[in-house]
Amino acid sequence: MRQWWSKIGAMLTGRRGLSEELDEELDAHLELEIQELVSRGMPLEEARETAKRGFGNTTLIHESADEAWAFTLFENSVKDLAYAARTLRKNPGFAIAAILTLALGIGGNTAMFTVIRAVLLKPLEYRDPQQLVRLSVDIARQQLQDVGFTEERFEAVRSAAKSFSDLGAFFISTENMTLSGNGAEPQALNGARVSHDFLHILGVQPMLGRSFLAEEDRPGGRPVAMIGEQLWKSRFNGDPQVIGRTAALNSVPHTIIGVLPREFQFPAPDVDVWVTRPSEFSALPPQAWSRTPILIGIGRLKPSVNLEQARSELQVLSRQYANSHPSDADPIMRATVLSSHLVEKVRGMLWILFGAVGLVLLAACANVASLLLARATARSSEFAVRAALGAARGRLVRQLLAESLLLAFAGGMAGALLATWGVAAIAKFSALNLPRAGGIRVDGMVLGFTAALSIATGVLFGLFPSLHASRPDIVHVLRAHGEGRGSLKRVALGLSTRGLLVVGQVALSIMLLIGAALMLRTLRHLYSVDPGFQPAHLLTMQIALPPTRYDTGQKIITFYQELVRRIETIPGVHGATVSLTLPTGVKWAIPIQAVGQQAVPVQKRMQVRLQSVTPGYFRTLGIPLLRGREFTARDNLPNSPPAAMINESLARRIWPAFPNGQNPIGQHLRFGLDQTSGGLEIVGIVTDVRESGLRSSAETELYLPTNLYRPQRAGLVVRTDGDPQHFVNAIRRQVLSIDPDQPVSAIKTMDDLLESSVGQQRLTLLLLGVFAGVAVLLALVGLCGVISYSVAQRTREVGIRRALGAQQSDILRLIVGQGFGLTLAGVAIGILGALALTRVMKGLLFGVTATDPATFVGAAALFLMVALAASYLPARRATRIDPMAALR
Amino acid sequence: MPTVDNPSERLEFLQGTLEVLILRSLRPGANHAYGISQFLKQQSEHEFMVDNGSLYPALQRLLQRGWVTAGWKTSPNARRAKYYRLTPAGRKQLVAATSKWQRFVEAMGRVLAPETPEA
Repeated sequence: MRQWWSKIGAMLTGRRGLSEELDEELDAHLELEIQELVSRGMPLEEARETAKRGFGNTTLIHESADEAWAFTLFENSVKDLAYAARTLRKNPGFAIAAILTLALGIGGNTAMFTVIRAVLLKPLEYRDPQQLVRLSVDIARQQLQDVGFTEERFEAVRSAAKSFSDLGAFFISTENMTLSGNGAEPQALNGARVSHDFLHILGVQPMLGRSFLAEEDRPGGRPVAMIGEQLWKSRFNGDPQVIGRTAALNSVPHTIIGVLPREFQFPAPDVDVWVTRPSEFSALPPQAWSRTPILIGIGRLKPSVNLEQARSELQVLSRQYANSHPSDADPIMRATVLSSHLVEKVRGMLWILFGAVGLVLLAACANVASLLLARATARSSEFAVRAALGAARGRLVRQLLAESLLLAFAGGMAGALLATWGVAAIAKFSALNLPRAGGIRVDGMVLGFTAALSIATGVLFGLFPSLHASRPDIVHVLRAHGEGRGSLKRVALGLSTRGLLVVGQVALSIMLLIGAALMLRTLRHLYSVDPGFQPAHLLTMQIALPPTRYDTGQKIITFYQELVRRIETIPGVHGATVSLTLPTGVKWAIPIQAVGQQAVPVQKRMQVRLQSVTPGYFRTLGIPLLRGREFTARDNLPNSPPAAMINESLARRIWPAFPNGQNPIGQHLRFGLDQTSGGLEIVGIVTDVRESGLRSSAETELYLPTNLYRPQRAGLVVRTDGDPQHFVNAIRRQVLSIDPDQPVSAIKTMDDLLESSVGQQRLTLLLLGVFAGVAVLLALVGLCGVISYSVAQRTREVGIRRALGAQQSDILRLIVGQGFGLTLAGVAIGILGALALTRVMKGLLFGVTATDPATFVGAAALFLMVALAASYLPARRATRIDPMAALR
Repeated sequence: MPTVDNPSERLEFLQGTLEVLILRSLRPGANHAYGISQFLKQQSEHEFMVDNGSLYPALQRLLQRGWVTAGWKTSPNARRAKYYRLTPAGRKQLVAATSKWQRFVEAMGRVLAPETPEA
């Protein structure tokens, strides 16, 4: 404290006086020393020399004595920054190159951090989100994971479980609901079915109105709905009086009781409307509600209970339930943390990309460090002069660091701009369906990350070159100044450091290149997968028929038949069909049993994928028929014998010898709960279709005519001429001409549907490709720079070689060989690194292993070729060196 | 300890050590910077060669802490020089630092002492 006061006092009275006094004191000191030496018998001149030599650098003494009085760090930092800014302004080319390189690295990292923070790191906007768990069911025997509870099973857990303070349920998916009436055009909404206490469990308040009441959740309770902010704004003009108004949902008047904020994304993003009674899925007949496994549990753990305890309790409950329900013994209940479940699918990909962009930043640092080293070598005489004049080493280091930090800071600002743009691009990448994408934005926290990253970067790429440059070999540098060359040792050292940086850059870019190549091959494999049908020129959309207006099977069938008939009259349409599900959509599973094979209880029967289709389905999608016949209109007549079609996989599953052995055509299957009837006659066998997207394998699949399974909500597929999007309006008009209250939704081409199943791979490829490209470019620039520098330094050597008879080709080989050596070392390290790192990509790959030798060799070979070209350009200059000029 | 011959070790001077030595050198009476460095050199039998680049900043720090005062005086051989003098606070600090140093040196000695050979 006392020190501070004296310092401030000194500052106020001015340090100039102090400095003059110190000069006087030092003079006196020197005189005393000389006197002493003279008195011991040394001649005056010699005494003066000796004393001066021993005295030390007066400038330095001055500076360090001054420092004792100053708030030096601050004052010097300001000075250093000002000086750094001046130096950089004098070298705009260098500054721009460095700032752009850093902007790419820092910008990329900022963008990825923004995404990862919003999607993975930010806690959910619920109360104590770590206490929220999601309950679902695994059925090992049927290889089913994370499927729903039946109502019966769920009620058994809800009444017995002690781990949860509250336990509610929601419908496993979202449901297409129709909002109609009030004279407005009917609108298809994304609806969620939740138990009445879901907001209470999550700890969220509606922004307007109230939440559900328990009596509204009971069968026959008053129909009420909560709506999302977006729908509230678009359909009800944000009117606060909306509470208490009635709206027809699926043709049933519902009272609107509350509005939920836009950020609220439970149980899925973009929900427009929430209703109670989660098991009353409108696509199912009421008698099936309690028996269909469509419920997911959402629970809040009691404060004293952790996840592991809840899991063991669920295990016990699973066993108890199996004992009391021997026919339904297989399901095991499981619990996961709600937040980790939301992002399960993208977590791996995001961390991989974050790692990759980190490698890019390292490469950028290496590049700028290399630039700085080159500059430091060029400026070695400046440093030598400053050191000779008494600049302390720390001062030089600090000043160079100030330059690095200034560069990093400018790079960081440019990077933040780049990031805002990149973040918007990633969040909008619709094929990815990124969860929590709404929260992705650049905010103060992200900018803080950018600032911290910039500082770390500045120190990382700046410290080494400045330590290196601040130790100038004064005598050598100054002596050699006239020749414009540094000392040989110093040059060699500078070069080898830059060589190492190039090796590092090459290694980093090889790793990224291999990662990108693996993704490229994955995507090529995915695109070459035969989906089992012809996806081009197909338009798809969803139709949900409200059960109130379409309350009989006949009405449903008539609507679909009429729809297909009318659409097929549109010119340019080659076929239309209605099916229960669309490829990549929800999967319906149903137990089956072949008549004549050993009978198995319903719960243990094989589960197959169910598809219900109108007769034109196979023709419209282009699915080849292997055997038998397709469905015809006759199969939908009320009294025709029940028919079914199966796919190849199902045929092989039931009759392993297929296509040899017993002919499945004419055999019978029982489906669902049917135990006794004669079953469905198999009339046709078609090839497999990858219904769950290109990455999936084919599933066993049972096709029924619409009459046997009447979908309340279905997909419409239309084959068209040219661009299917041109037919959207014509098709919509046909729908409205049959039923003016019936909307269609989710209008997409089949190509887009399939594309969304490979969205992760696409985005990973895109970003890894960009990262690899940047890294390769940086590495090549680094390589080129090192070779050019080496050529410039070796002018005299090359001249001597030429004079002694070396041919141009010898010189070329010498110089290019140097570049090749560096590249080869980098490639080797990079391959080792990739071997260690590509493992993490395993989950994203398809049709190629993480250590695919061809990919590794290919990436390395490609890089070596480009690197050769990059070393050739500067090496050519060496061949043109005139030996006479170089030696003179 | 720093020596003039090897200036690169200058930075390794233990912070605070030199200050105690300066205080000690001023106990017999006021002295100028050259005198202080001569005193330390002679008392340490040429083990300590105090480098001016360390001596002057150390003196400034002592002034700031109020442990010494300074004033211009004429030296015995008729030259004007800046004389440093211990203040009462400086004297107290010297006593405290000396006893601390002695404890430190004894402890070091005990740790570093050669093990007694077994009888």
